[in-house]
Amino acid sequence: MPLEAAARLVSELTSRGYNAEREAVTRLAAAEDPNAALERVLEEVPNDALVVQADHVESVLSRPDTTGSPRTDGSNAAGATESEAASADGGTAGRDATRTDASSAGSPPSASTGTGPTEGRDSPDPSPVETEGSSPADRAADPAIRSLEITGDMTGESTGTGEYSDFVSVFRDRLERLGTKLRGRVNHRPATAIQGMPGGSDVAMVGLVNDIRSTASGHWLIELEDATGTFPWLVMKDREYVDLVDELLCDEVLAMEGTLADDSGIAFVDSLSFPDVPRTYEPSTADRHVQAALISDVHVGSQEFMADAWNAFADWLHTEQAQHVEYMLLAGDMVEGVGVYPDQDEELDIVDIYEQYEAFSEHLKKVPGDIEIVMIPGNHDAVRLAEPQPGFDEELRGIMSAHDPQIVSNPSTVTLEGVSVLMYHGVSLDEVIAELPEEKASYDEPHKAMYHLLKKRHVAPQFGGHTRLAPEEKDYLIMEDVPDIFHTGHVHKLGFGKYHNVLAINSGCWQAQTDFQKSVNIDPDAGFAPIVDLDTLDVTVQKFS
Amino acid sequence: MRTEDEQYFQGLEDQLEDALAVAERAKKRGGDPKPEVEIPVAKDMADRVENILGIDGVAERVRELEGQMSREEAALELAEDFAEGRVGDYETNAGKIEGAVRTAVALLTEGVVAAPIEGIDRVEILQNDDGTEFVNVYYAGPIRSAGGTAQALSVLVADYTRALVGIEQYDARQEEVERYAEELGLYDKETGLQYSPKDSEAKFIAKNLPIMLDGEATGDEEVSGFRDLERVDTNSARGGMCLVLAEGIALKAPKIQRYTRNLDEVDWPWLQDLIDGNYYDDGEDADAADDESGGEDDEGDEESSETDANDPGDGGDAPGDDSEGPPRVETSEKFLRDLIAGRPVFSHPCAKGGFRLRYGRARNHGFATAGVHPAAMHLVDDFLATGTQIKTERPGKAAGVVPVDSLEGPTVKLANGDVRRIDDPEDALEIRNGVEAILDLGEYLVNYGEFVENNHPLAPASYTYEWWIQDVEAAGVDIQALEDDPRIDLEFPDPGEALEWAVEYDAPLHPEYTFLWHDISVDAFCTLAEAVADGRIEGDGDGDDSVLVLEYMEPVREALETIVIEHRQRPDEDRLEIDGWRPFVRTLGCEPRRAVADGSALESESGNEAQEPTVELERTWSPEDLSERARTWGHETEGDNAIEAVNEVAPFRVRERAPTRVGNRMGRPEKSERRDLSPPVHTLFPISEAGGAQRNVADAAKHAETMSDTPGVVDVQIGRQRCESCGTETFKNRCPDCNARTTPDYRCYDCDVQVDPDEAGRVECPRCERQATCVDTREIDIHEEYRDALEEVGERENAFEILKGVKGLSSQTKVPEPIEKGILRAKHDVSTFKDGTVRYDMTDLPVTSVRASELDVDVGQLQALGYEEDIHGEPLTHEDQLVELRVQDIVLSNGAAEHMLQIADFIDDLLEQYYGLEPYYEFEDRQELVGELVFGMAPHTSAATVGRVIGFTSAAVGYAHPYFHAAKRRNCDGDEDCVMLLLDGLLNFSKSFLPDQRGGKMDAPLVMSSRIDPSEIDDEAHNMDVVRQYPREFYLATLEQADPEAVDVEIAEDTLGTDTEYTGFDHTHDTTNIAMGPDLSAYKTLGSMMDKMDAQLELSRKLAAVDETDVAERVIEYHFLPDLIGNLRAFSRQETRCLDCGEKFRRMPLTGDCRECGGRVNLTVHKGSVNKYMQTAIQVADEYDCRPYTKQRLEVLEKALESVFENDKNKQSGIEDFM
Repeated sequence: MPLEAAARLVSELTSRGYNAEREAVTRLAAAEDPNAALERVLEEVPNDALVVQADHVESVLSRPDTTGSPRTDGSNAAGATESEAASADGGTAGRDATRTDASSAGSPPSASTGTGPTEGRDSPDPSPVETEGSSPADRAADPAIRSLEITGDMTGESTGTGEYSDFVSVFRDRLERLGTKLRGRVNHRPATAIQGMPGGSDVAMVGLVNDIRSTASGHWLIELEDATGTFPWLVMKDREYVDLVDELLCDEVLAMEGTLADDSGIAFVDSLSFPDVPRTYEPSTADRHVQAALISDVHVGSQEFMADAWNAFADWLHTEQAQHVEYMLLAGDMVEGVGVYPDQDEELDIVDIYEQYEAFSEHLKKVPGDIEIVMIPGNHDAVRLAEPQPGFDEELRGIMSAHDPQIVSNPSTVTLEGVSVLMYHGVSLDEVIAELPEEKASYDEPHKAMYHLLKKRHVAPQFGGHTRLAPEEKDYLIMEDVPDIFHTGHVHKLGFGKYHNVLAINSGCWQAQTDFQKSVNIDPDAGFAPIVDLDTLDVTVQKFS
Repeated sequence: MRTEDEQYFQGLEDQLEDALAVAERAKKRGGDPKPEVEIPVAKDMADRVENILGIDGVAERVRELEGQMSREEAALELAEDFAEGRVGDYETNAGKIEGAVRTAVALLTEGVVAAPIEGIDRVEILQNDDGTEFVNVYYAGPIRSAGGTAQALSVLVADYTRALVGIEQYDARQEEVERYAEELGLYDKETGLQYSPKDSEAKFIAKNLPIMLDGEATGDEEVSGFRDLERVDTNSARGGMCLVLAEGIALKAPKIQRYTRNLDEVDWPWLQDLIDGNYYDDGEDADAADDESGGEDDEGDEESSETDANDPGDGGDAPGDDSEGPPRVETSEKFLRDLIAGRPVFSHPCAKGGFRLRYGRARNHGFATAGVHPAAMHLVDDFLATGTQIKTERPGKAAGVVPVDSLEGPTVKLANGDVRRIDDPEDALEIRNGVEAILDLGEYLVNYGEFVENNHPLAPASYTYEWWIQDVEAAGVDIQALEDDPRIDLEFPDPGEALEWAVEYDAPLHPEYTFLWHDISVDAFCTLAEAVADGRIEGDGDGDDSVLVLEYMEPVREALETIVIEHRQRPDEDRLEIDGWRPFVRTLGCEPRRAVADGSALESESGNEAQEPTVELERTWSPEDLSERARTWGHETEGDNAIEAVNEVAPFRVRERAPTRVGNRMGRPEKSERRDLSPPVHTLFPISEAGGAQRNVADAAKHAETMSDTPGVVDVQIGRQRCESCGTETFKNRCPDCNARTTPDYRCYDCDVQVDPDEAGRVECPRCERQATCVDTREIDIHEEYRDALEEVGERENAFEILKGVKGLSSQTKVPEPIEKGILRAKHDVSTFKDGTVRYDMTDLPVTSVRASELDVDVGQLQALGYEEDIHGEPLTHEDQLVELRVQDIVLSNGAAEHMLQIADFIDDLLEQYYGLEPYYEFEDRQELVGELVFGMAPHTSAATVGRVIGFTSAAVGYAHPYFHAAKRRNCDGDEDCVMLLLDGLLNFSKSFLPDQRGGKMDAPLVMSSRIDPSEIDDEAHNMDVVRQYPREFYLATLEQADPEAVDVEIAEDTLGTDTEYTGFDHTHDTTNIAMGPDLSAYKTLGSMMDKMDAQLELSRKLAAVDETDVAERVIEYHFLPDLIGNLRAFSRQETRCLDCGEKFRRMPLTGDCRECGGRVNLTVHKGSVNKYMQTAIQVADEYDCRPYTKQRLEVLEKALESVFENDKNKQSGIEDFM
């Protein structure tokens, strides 16, 4: 089977330290003697090349063996250029910089511009569909079309020093920026001003939820806090919105409207609103048919890492079916890490953290070199656990440089051809699922938990619970702008759906069920790759296990 | 009971009566919550059970049943009584079951511990899915103190009563079953279980239990899987339930089964499957079964003996079983878990050079203790002291260390090359600085009873004098004749004698000259023999002052160090010198031959020529002569044990000197300290925040919130009392107007109607059916109260430094203590516990015989206490004679004695100045304490035991008879508890002070036992052996690793119920003094944690039995990393606190300032507390060459700390940046 041949070739190439363009692999696989061809190609490849490119194969196959069958020929020269350019772009992890690859076309090996025979396409071709399909002609034509922009990356921008004032700034920033979304909707007053208003007045306030507790008679008392102080709001148990109280998390930003009690010591809530995503929100889409693979939780180094499923996925990316997949987003937990839980070393396949990343890098090399990769760290990765988590340090970046991924902080927003994707690893989902009633958020439907985060416009609102916070000068965890896609991982469950037209998608994982998961009754969705059409925001799920 | 015992107890009780009479008179006059003594005297267990439960009629029924049946059976019998309403007055079935269950637990814990009242919250009747009713027992955390057996039996009793009153069985829902399994895992992770059942086991139990086990949430962590179940109130782990299921049912299944078999009404057929492990439904059988047997071994549950006997257990891997190698125990690493920085490891599991197991019981030993030579205590840099707890490899988990100097001491290599055995603590101190390596830690005394208690197969015994003498006797030698010979020291013979006996009698070589041949390989043995054959004898060939000189070679030196023989290493002179060499040389199969001038050789024995003879050593064998068996004899690898080779070449038998080594590490340090609350409390009088952080009453008396407030007037929550005669409302127990006693004034919260408590003590408003309360927030003029109190007792403010009150009262009725008591406490610098008593904590240690000389008392004092004979029946005339300790006599530490004197002074003043009576104690010096009564009282229990002071010790521990400790339900594995002075308890204790919360009644003397009945104490003490010598059969049985029950050694249990039950506690080993070695462990004398850890790692380098890299790894893994990770986590989710008013905030206020007082708010976890160990950990990892995994974890953490605490744009730069 050609597919297997491709897979074998890829692993052969990676074992020798080369990454390969999909086109190159296709051509090699189609050669009469792929192994011999491979050997010859490797001899010919320039010493400084990390990626075997289509033209390397081309030149090898065409030179000594002029009888090379036409079907090995790439029919679309542009395809070749595109992949080169993508892979050869230097390791400048530019932040907040628009990255259109057209500008970087000057890299050394990009010599060939489609000089190959062009007759292959319509010649009677005995090769099976897959082979035909995986001909490079079908990957997107022009790298200039691609665009990838990062915002909100705080790597290298961590200025907090763990002082009390840093914490205060973060929460003030949160109220300030999210409050803006609410202040237009209500006639808000500061907490201290409300205290001074006459009983019976209509009042409104925007603040952080400071405390939620039930009263002896079953009503709910919610304390809102703003920059002046706190004020208690009573939600009566018989009001229709009492249901929303279940959804509240401490430290999220809310607006409340209601009537002040006679003694002005408390207000009765008439309505409460979240910053939320507007119902009418219209997400941006790409101008062409292009896809992105949204995955996470690879956990290389774990005994449970599913190498076969990953290889199948990587192979699939080399096929025609995957021709439109030009981006891959990785939402954290590249490796299993060290010291994540007690006695973890006994369950590690690779005990050395650096070797784990090396192995991950090897696995990443199997992904076609012309796919743009963006990754953020997760709680298993070797960065601080407190959020926001900066991207990997230079040492780890060095290890993973072969495929030249963009490594940014958790969370970060990446805009792919106009479609903004908020990437967040998803540690707070545990808390949302634990705090909210089952029907509102559960592990079986992780995207529903994500809806709540969208509604709150914050990836990890609650402080003091499971989620750890590193105080920075501003709150990086806010969703200041509505993303078109919200991408998380962490809970190892696959789920997606739309909330006010925003696509929420929680990737599964590449790690089979661990003993721990077994003990707490979690059955992970392992070996799935959700693929998003960036022009329609439709999702298809590919299964590899 | 013997007359002298009767007299003894009568004497104690008379003394108690006297004190009670004084206390009763005082109480009648004072303003205490009750006008009488609040600790009832219980003469026996039945009394205690009834007193603790407060159910009338229980005591009588218990006494009736006691003679006829076991306590467990009595519990079941009582269950019937409850079910049928003969005992207790319950209307509901739930009440009946609750009564039965509480009574069962009380009975099984001898009415001492608080578990029956605190550990069982309630019993409920709930509905099954099919509509039938079932029983739910609601457990709470303190059920822990009941122990596994009582826990398990409480379930059985609940089920039995359930069947009797006709309620259906519980039918667990699937999600409930799963929840049990998950919850157990969570609890084990969070708190830790002694035994954690596998999921399949837990589910099996949950599925089959006929009643539901439920309980209070005890932790904050919640289950993540099976949440919000209808019939389970909480998502957190329910600690009580987890304990009952895991350590009760799962662990004690065989014990329950014994009783279910005899009951027709209950049928638990699944118990057999549980015991057999037949609960695996699918393919996980194999590994689960392995784990399970592992679990059983660890626990050493006495009841699993039937199964354990066939269990491979400790013999499994040991080749001893199939006679293919020496008998050895299995190593167990468990004790090394959770190693703490600053608490050193003394020996890795079964490691060469570690403590050598010797069997026997010293007089200050038994009951979860370990005897160690005092010289060894000094040589481990004073980390061991009398009473220091060690975590040990076997037979139990932990033990208290006691000094026993009749053991063999440690062997050390000194900087000058001498290898010496140190048998004198003085020597140890002298040479300590020159110690390069501790080659051997010496002997480690464990008594037979310890193995019985832990149901641990006997470990092969060291070859010791007590065994050897019986070997000689067995060979037909008249020991008596040898013993009577004044020229012979049988225990420490000279080499010639030892050799002579070995050759002459058919007995193995004397242990004194038996070296640790089993620790060297056959190859090393051959090398050593060769070296010896090439060696020469210097000095007089006849006398013992001749010296064997060997050429200095590394393998030879190593071998000599390994077999632990005293010698001198002189590498510069190329010499290794051994004194007293004959037994050593002969054991190596070498014959000394006298080479006379003409070269002819003669037997050394016969040669006594006058010419200068030289002695040559001739090796009588070559390696080829060794049999295959001897060459391959070994435990871990073939040929790693030379003992068989020795026996083939030596002209006599040689036994293995130390086949069992016991690994251990330091647990917690010994304790002898006054118990002060934090901050200390002098009076249980509420002063709110007015006294500042110090709770200073004088400050509170002057405190005013604002300028307009009256100073000293403070709002506090306090109990409302009413004077029946004049109607005055007050908070005092005596009417300030007419001096009559007042009663609590309960009022309904809603309608303010006055309510009187009904018979059961309930106070419910008849109109609104709400609980009425007597607690009221009211203004108290502290200034006035304080002045009045000072005047009342006639003291001035300068009589004490500070008088500290409490912020608020935590008891239900919030009755305050009279301030007068506090004033006198402050005057004598004693502070009170939550219940009004003054306490002094000490580590428990056992002692069965004492000398007047070591107790700092004279013979006359002992005689006055009724000690007339020594242990041999001779009249007591001399201070060095050993007398057998009476069961309720205790030895105070110096610190305790001092504190007792202070308390006595306080009591005398209290009697005189407050109650208006004569002083009672009037002590001048501590000798007068001898003979006085005290209370012994352990945490988690609710019964005090009366004890009598017999003397004092410099060790920081409380020595007492093991029965005394067992009566308090303590053993001596490092447990600590307290003593109170008798009259202090009688006068100042009140139940009204006890906190109204779970566990509030624990550690409070709700009842006192005036005399100890040996059959009513913790039966662990019954397993202590009481003989003067273990039989030879015992030692031989240890080599077979026999079950301890299979050997006949008398234990205390054997005399229970007989006339001699209070006497005849013999010991096998004496010790010069019960306080030897350092008085305090280095752990307590060293300052910072870093100093302790440095000392710990330094010691690990010296000890041959310790792998310092492993220690470093563990310190990092179990101490530094959890600390770093935990603090980092805490940092990123921390609370904040106001520096000015102490108010806490879950999150930083947006205003930045305190919302309460506007003060400065700050973090509770700072950078400094997060990364304080970071650099040290990295340094240790580096220095001790830890694994890359450990180093990388530290690296990742360090980066995380940097990332959180350092500004990327403004990195801290090193000094080199400026150079």
